[in-house]
Order: sequence, then C-alpha cells, then structure tokens
Amino acid sequence: MSAITGSQPTTEPPAPEERGPGLAGRIAALPGDIARHWSDYLYILPALGIMLVVIAYPIFYTVRLSFYSTPANLAMDDKIWIGLDNYRRILTSDSFRSVTRNTLEWTVFSTFFAYVIGLGAALVIQREFPGRSIVRGVLLIPWVISYVSAAYIWKWLYHSDYGLINDTLIRLNIVDQNINILDNIHRALPALIIANIWKEFPFAMIMLLAGLQGVPDQLHRAAKVDGAGTWARFWHITMPQLKSVSVVTILLLMLTNLNSFTLVWVMTGGGPAGSTDIWITQIYQLAFGRTRFGVASAYSVILFLIMMALGYFYVKALTRGDAEREGA
Amino acid sequence: MSSNYERTAGSRKRLDAWGIAGWVFLLLLLVFTVVPLAWMLSTALKTQLGALQFPPRWIPTNPTTENFRMLLDPNDDIGRRFLRYMLNSLWVSTATTVVGVLVAVPAAYAFSRFRFPGRNSLFYGVLLRNMFPAVIFLIPLFILMRNLRLVNSYGSLIITYLTFGLPLSIWLLKGFYDNIPVQLEQAARIDGASRFQAFIRIVMPLSAPGIVATAIYSFILAWNEYVYALTFITDDRKLTVPVGLQRFFSEYVANWPGLMAAAFLMSIPVVVMFLVLQKYFVRALTEGAIKQ
Amino acid sequence: MSTQRYRELFNRELNRRKLLAYGAAAGAGAAFGPRALTLAQDGTIDTTDWTPETIVAQAGTLEVDTAAECAQVVPLDYEGEVSYWYVGPADSEPQITHDIDAEFWAAFAETYPNITVNITRLTYNDMLDQIRTAALGNAAPMVAKMPILWGVEFAAKGQLQEFGPADAGYPVEEYWPGAMKSVTYDGKTYGVPTNNETMALIWNAALFEEAGLDPDSPPATWDDVVAYSKQIKENTGKDGYGLVARVNAGNTPFRFMPAMWAYGGGALDEAAEAPTYEEIWINNEGSIAALQSHYQMYVTDKSVPTSALTNTQAENQAPFISGSLGMMIAHPAEYAQMNDMAANADEADREIADQVVANMRYGFLPEGPTGRRAVVFGGSNVHVFEPSVVDGGNVDLDAARALIAFSTGPEWSTKLAWVGSNPSNIRGFQTSWMKERLDSIPFLDVTTSMLPYGIPFPVVPESTEIMNIIVPDMLQNALTESMSVEDAANNAASQIEEIRGDGL
Repeated sequence: MSAITGSQPTTEPPAPEERGPGLAGRIAALPGDIARHWSDYLYILPALGIMLVVIAYPIFYTVRLSFYSTPANLAMDDKIWIGLDNYRRILTSDSFRSVTRNTLEWTVFSTFFAYVIGLGAALVIQREFPGRSIVRGVLLIPWVISYVSAAYIWKWLYHSDYGLINDTLIRLNIVDQNINILDNIHRALPALIIANIWKEFPFAMIMLLAGLQGVPDQLHRAAKVDGAGTWARFWHITMPQLKSVSVVTILLLMLTNLNSFTLVWVMTGGGPAGSTDIWITQIYQLAFGRTRFGVASAYSVILFLIMMALGYFYVKALTRGDAEREGA
Repeated sequence: MSSNYERTAGSRKRLDAWGIAGWVFLLLLLVFTVVPLAWMLSTALKTQLGALQFPPRWIPTNPTTENFRMLLDPNDDIGRRFLRYMLNSLWVSTATTVVGVLVAVPAAYAFSRFRFPGRNSLFYGVLLRNMFPAVIFLIPLFILMRNLRLVNSYGSLIITYLTFGLPLSIWLLKGFYDNIPVQLEQAARIDGASRFQAFIRIVMPLSAPGIVATAIYSFILAWNEYVYALTFITDDRKLTVPVGLQRFFSEYVANWPGLMAAAFLMSIPVVVMFLVLQKYFVRALTEGAIKQ
Repeated sequence: MSTQRYRELFNRELNRRKLLAYGAAAGAGAAFGPRALTLAQDGTIDTTDWTPETIVAQAGTLEVDTAAECAQVVPLDYEGEVSYWYVGPADSEPQITHDIDAEFWAAFAETYPNITVNITRLTYNDMLDQIRTAALGNAAPMVAKMPILWGVEFAAKGQLQEFGPADAGYPVEEYWPGAMKSVTYDGKTYGVPTNNETMALIWNAALFEEAGLDPDSPPATWDDVVAYSKQIKENTGKDGYGLVARVNAGNTPFRFMPAMWAYGGGALDEAAEAPTYEEIWINNEGSIAALQSHYQMYVTDKSVPTSALTNTQAENQAPFISGSLGMMIAHPAEYAQMNDMAANADEADREIADQVVANMRYGFLPEGPTGRRAVVFGGSNVHVFEPSVVDGGNVDLDAARALIAFSTGPEWSTKLAWVGSNPSNIRGFQTSWMKERLDSIPFLDVTTSMLPYGIPFPVVPESTEIMNIIVPDMLQNALTESMSVEDAANNAASQIEEIRGDGL
C-alpha cells in the first residue's frame, strides 16, 4: 500500500506551482513553463476538450437565462430581462423553504443510512466465509441496475392497493388494512429514501471494503494482544484508517443524492402535494412542466453554488493524499 | 490482499456477540436486497390481471413466460423493438466505454507523471464535473447538440456520457499511476525504449485492473442513463433501453408484468458483467483510489 | 382489407352484450327523445339532435373518394418530403391500433407515392417535453399531431404557422366548433382537428347489484357518485369510484374538470356561454363543491382506490376488469383495452374478466346540482411549424398539406380514430366505416353522444400548466389534507393569477 512513498517526482522538472517562489516570479515564468511543457497538454487535451464542450456553454447559457423571465406566451427570443428578480422570488417563496427541507431530509438520511449500512456490510463481507464472493455480488446488484428499473420496482412494491409491502404489513399485524404509502404526504418521502438507500448502500459497501483492505493486520493483532475488544478495535483502529475513504464516499453520496432525479421523478413526480419535491425535481418541473426556464435557471445557479461548496470539500478530500506526498 | 482479523482462533472459539450480530445483519441485508429483485421476477411471470390481486402471491397461480417471449421474439412487433433498444444501448455504452478509456488513460498518466503549469487546477476542474446536476443542462445541451448536428444521433449521448464517467476514471487511474514506481519506466528507457513504449510495456499492464474497473463503471453509467436519452433521442429506432422501458406505460395502459420483465431483461447484461468482473473493481478501488 | 378482423376482434361475446349495451344507451339517451339527425345540410352541427339513435341512423350514408379529394389540394404525383411527429401506438396497446396505423401509412404511400414522410412516433407521456425542447432548439418537425391541450402554447410563442382546414381543402364547417376553438388563438387558426372524443361513465352492473344499487342506471348527479361510491365500499368492500389525481398527467383534468364544470366551477371561465378566459373560477362556489365531493370520497369515505394520488387512469383498468372497482370515467379506447386484457388473462382470471366485460355499462357523465352536464372536449389537432423552428429551416408546405388533407378527411379521420375517438371531419360520421365502428364497438354511440356536452380547455398559452399541474396540485393539496379544501382552491387561484398576470 505504500509503494508511492518511494516514488521520486519524475523525469520532468517540477512545475512552478510546486516550487513556490514569489507569486510575481511564478507569473513571469509561466509562459516559458507552458511552452516547455506543451507536449504534456496533448495528453489531457481530449479529456479537457470534451469536458469544455459539455460544461462551458451550458453554464454560460444557464447563468444568462437566470436573469430573464420566459413566460408561456413568449418565444425564447422575446424573453424579458428582469435582473435578479428570479432569485428574489425563489428565495422568498414558501415552496423554496419546503423544497429545501425535503432536499435536506432526502440527502442527509439517504447518505447517512447508505453509509452506515454500507459500512456494516463491508465489515461483515470482509470476513472469510463460504460463498463470500457470491454474497458480495448479490449485495452489489441494486447499485448496478438502472435507476429507472429501481424506481418502477419500488413503486410497485409500495403500491397502495396491490403492493407487497402493504401485504407484508398486514400479515405482520402492523396495520389492519391497506395504508397509502406513496400517496401519503408523511410516508412518501421516507419511502423514497428507503428505495434510495437500497440503491446506494452497495456503493458505500464496495468503497469501504476497498478501504478495509488497506488496514494493516499487525495493528489488529497488536491491539488484540493488548486485550482490546471488538468494538474498541473497530473504533480505535479500523475507523481512523477508514477516515479518508469515508469522507470521499460520503461526499460522493451527497452529490449523487442532490443530483438524484430519476428515482423521485418516476416514483412520485414530486407529489403528493409537493411532499417529495426536491430541488432537482422542482427545477425540472419549472423548466419542462411550466416552461419557466428563467426561474429554473436561477434555481439551477443556486444549486450550483451549493454543489460547488460541497465540491470544494470533495476535491480537498480526494487530493489530500497527493498534497501530503507532494508537500514532502 | 485480505486482512481477516476475525478469522483468528480466539474469536472462533467463543461465540462473539459482535460476530453473531454481524451474521444477523448480513441476513437482514440480504433479504432487503433480494426481496425487491425477486418480486420483480415474480411479477414478470404473471399475467396483467394476475399481478393485480390482493393479497399478492409470490408464486404466480398460472406462471407465464409470455412477457419474456414477447420481448425477446424478433418476429413480434414489441420484441423487435425491445431487442433494437438493447442493441442501441449496447452500442452507445460500448462506444462510451472505449472512447472513455482512450481519453482517460493519457489524461490520468499526464496528471500523475508530468509537472506542467496548471496541472492541479485542471485536475480539480475535471473532478468538478460531478458537481453539475444533469437535469439543469438538458436544454442548453440540447441546443448545443443541435448546433453540432448531433440530435437523434448516438454521438450526442456518447459525448455526454463520457463526461459522467471521466472524472472518476481519471481519478482512479491517476491513483494507479501514482503507485507505479517511476524507476520501472526509467529502467526501460535506459534500455532504449521510448516514453511511449515504456508506457505500453510497463505501465499499461500494471494498471490493467484500474482500466477494467473504469471501463465497467463507464459502461454501467451509460447503460442506465435515462434523462438525456429521453431528451436527445426522439427517433423511435434509436432509443436506448431505459427510455424504451417507459413504453409500457402509455396514456391508456399500465402493464406492470411487462414492465418488470423488461426491467429484468435490461438488467441482465450489466449485472452479469459486473458479477464476473467485480473482483477487478474492488482491487482497482483498493490499489488505485484508497491510499493511505 | 382487414376490417373483417376488426369485426372479429370486437364481436367476441358481442351478441350477448349488445342487448344490454343498447339498453343502457337508450336509457341514457332517453331524456332527449327521438329526433332525426340533420347533419351537414347547412354545414353546421345541430347539437341538440346528437343522440345515440341519430348517430346510428346517419352512419353509412356517404361514399368518400379520399384520393380524389386530396388531388384537388395537392396533385397526387407531387414530389416532396415532410417530417411528422405524433403519439404512435404504444407497445401495450391493442393490436388493432397498430394495424390501422400501418394501414394508414401504406395507404398514404399509395396515394402520394413521391412524398417521403419522416415519421417519429412518441409516447403520450413524453411527447410534450420532447416537442417543447425541439421547438426551443430549432429542431421541431414540419408537422406534428398533438393532443388538443398543447397546441395553443406553441401558437402563442409564434412557433406555429397559420394553417386551417381550408388549407387542406376542407370547409371549416366540416369540423366541430369546439375543436376549431382549440386551434384558434388571437383570432387566427393554427391547426386542423384530427379526431374528437368525449368520455363517458362506465360501471360494473354486477357490482352495483351486489351493493344494492340499480344495476342499469348510472348515478344521475355527482352527489350520487359520492353516495354510490360509499355504498359500494360499505356493501361490497370494493372501491366505488376510480378517482385519479396524479400531477403532471394528462388524465387528471379529463377526470376532474367534468365535475368542476357540472358544479358550476371551472379553472378560468371556460364553461361560460362566451368564455373570456379573463376570470378565475377555480375557487368559486362550484369549484369548491366539486373539490369537496372528491375530498369526501378519498378522505372521509375512503371509497376510492388508495393509490389515487399516484395513479393515472391506466391503473384503473385492471381493477375494473378484475371486478374490484365499481365505476369510472372512461375513454372510449378503454373498452378495447380492457377487452384485450381480459383476453390475455389466465384461466381463473378470465372467467372474472369475461363476467365484468359482460356486466360493463356505459352511460352519460353525471350532472351537477343544477342539471348541468359537462365533459372535456378531447381529441387531437395537427399543426404546421414555422420554418424558423424546424430542423433544416424550411417546410415543404405542399407535402404538409397533402399529409394533412389525407389524414383529416372523412375516411382517415374516421379510421385512425377507430377504437378510441371520433372523426374530426363530421362527414366521417356518415361513412360506412363509422357504421362499422358503431356495429362493432359497444357503447360508441354513448360516448359519441356526449360530444355536445364537451367543453374545450381554456385556449390560453398557460392552459397546459393550469390543467396538468395547478389543478392536480389543488386536488392533491386537498386530498392529502395538507390544506383545507378552501385553502387549496384559493392557493390554486393565486397561482393562476400569478402566471396569467406577469408570467413569473
């Protein structure tokens, strides 16, 4: 696991940003550096090119459109400049508050339980037992199948009149007649979160499983000799070793959940009565259901900013290892 | 590779409460995972009316394979189209995967080995792709694809899907290259190999698990994507299978068993592929991404 | 010609059911008394004479030569190309719908061998989003057939060309006034109706009997619907009325607006004698009464399917055919669909399904407290897009005219509407194909005679949003009790005001 510690930088001389003279000196040296490294850029050009095509124009378009009103009776070319009015309307509307609350519940609970269940699964799965790889494979299936399929499967399980879940609840004497699940404002969001956890916990499991492989055996043996119990070893040895992979996993789950559209859209469309409406479905509804592209764009920009903040931590977590190495 | 500290003799002798809790947890988790999948298959074997009974039955009274036959029969109108959607998805996903690897490998290698100005900022920039919600970009990307004359062509989907998979692929592969001692390459070059030859002979084989893992990941993302496919492709002959699935719900018809059968069939390729290759995936994550 | 096959399809069990069907139809139509149909003599439709009997009497009295009619619009050897989007038959629709679709394209290719049509079939649930995106990105087709509600938004945005029946060679009088209203915006015509239909109430006579209701008479008023639904639930344990309230689904307004109108309400003032679309009726007394009636069924009596809020109408069919739903507002096409479902059921189910089919009755929609009867005037229109928003930037207008003339004439507007709708061109009602449909499709005369009660959706650009989002939202707010009935109505009113006012 520690092959990197021995690696020298490379055949290339270090770039100015890693050398760290004064800022002015770095800027002055930049053109020469770029020229010297021109062939390096060819390697990343295809990747960057595709990224730019797919991201740059849409960002520009979305930000610009967020300052316009696009009513149903006007063509896009006749849109009306309204400055920050879209932002003001969104931030002061009642629906923004309820949608934000739903989004937070959705993201926090989905992420938390997906992580905790994934962690538990990883700890059990890394034990050696017959059929282990089959069990691991089966647990990974929900992550591999599509969100559309998952959405329909769960919608069908939850069906208020013919669903398996209602049947099970009745058999277990938890309820005495069919209850509405996706048709109930208090139950719909938790029901969606459960479906989402089903879909996502395998991802946390496989990430953490990989992380566990890196926990040195010696530490556990030493702790055992010292008389540490299972819980103590888990808490003081395993968890600290899993810290960085956990941060990455949790951030990735949060980003996925904030962006999660298909599951909610197919299962409830944001209903009933807006009780499962999250930012992303609200944006889609505003843009496509109501043709309010201006407001939808402003909503998107707000969402961008929040994601960027999360993204900052994500990148930091991802590159922490690099920074430590390069700083050395 | 593994570190199975539970396997030590001590914990096997006495019935560890944590050990038992672990097995119980695993059992419950398996039930949680398998029941929805089994229910999908059970429903797929029912008739439309058979599926709408309460209380529902696990074993259909008169099981029918008609739903599967209909979807897989190339002589049936529905089957012909479903198979076509599967082929379309296969083509889009394969192209995305191949191009994705071809693009990600050099980029990851460069980010790992070279020290050019702007390296870190560009690397973070690539990773930031994950921040942007797909739904927001539907309209601007549609306009863009139209200007590129790519609407109703697989090109629009392949380009878009590439950007979903690239951040993770580049990150994962960069981790691999970071772990390959640069001395190996240097030794090869002293023996007279060019930089490219050194890369092909030394670096590629060592990073094979990473490439397999990123390939699986790209393939699955492309195979399952729904919203862009719905927006960019209107031509019935070019639809991909997640969108095609929707065709079982129309204005006047709701066919749950047909839908479940289609969902089952469309899951088979990715599930089988993943089950066969899962060990590479875990290995790749372990060696490439999870570093201490 | 495969008409023989159509007949066979629908004649299964027909003889047994026919008597009952006409019995029900006659009962429903009796209020109007026997009159003769005086159709198309002066070019207008006298809706007071539109009864099951007159519809039947009129059918089969006219011969049509479609090719000859089309030749007067665009020469049959015209060479050109046209792109065309429409809601094509979905995978799970009855075979007959697929057959007629294929037959239509074969016939068009025979009549205009040199016109290439680039066909795109979409699904009802996806088409609106896709065509909006396409028009926005200048990738629209030259010609599109759209459900009646959608067109005006595109017209208001300037994305449609002025194009009326006259451009396809038909006098405007050959189309229903309600249908023409739906393609008229700002005094100009932006399309040609392709088919028109109205829904009817369908009920399970056996279940009615089991519940102690008269098996042969449908609820006369909406208050009766509530009472019947409750009685069915209490006496049989089965659901009474097939309520649907999913948001963003076209089915919801088609099922709920008839009640709104019957009680004297509406979204705007579309139900008024001369609508201005300036007034908001969605929170008036009638609308609130309608909402209250649905609240009563869903919340208080629990006499409707529990899954109503996530259901579209499609999800009511199977419960109905399996005998666990008493009554619902049904589209004419659903008869064929349910028959299909019964035919595919396994043995045990088939017995039940066949019984339900035998006990199926169609009648008029109920009236409101003041004797008002209303139904959504449904159907589709075909539109021609402006060259500026069309892929490639130009429209082959003559090819478009040929296609529209061919498909909206008496022959194909009748045949394409085979299982589920009615010809837009009223001469279609006089053709032998109409007669064949009436002979082979039970209850068609009933649903068809609801047409005069049809109220078109408001012809304003925001109509789609009002009907597909605001109205279902209001229903959900009230039925989930997240708002009181009055608050839900007032909330909907303020939303309409907002979008009609400054377009947020």
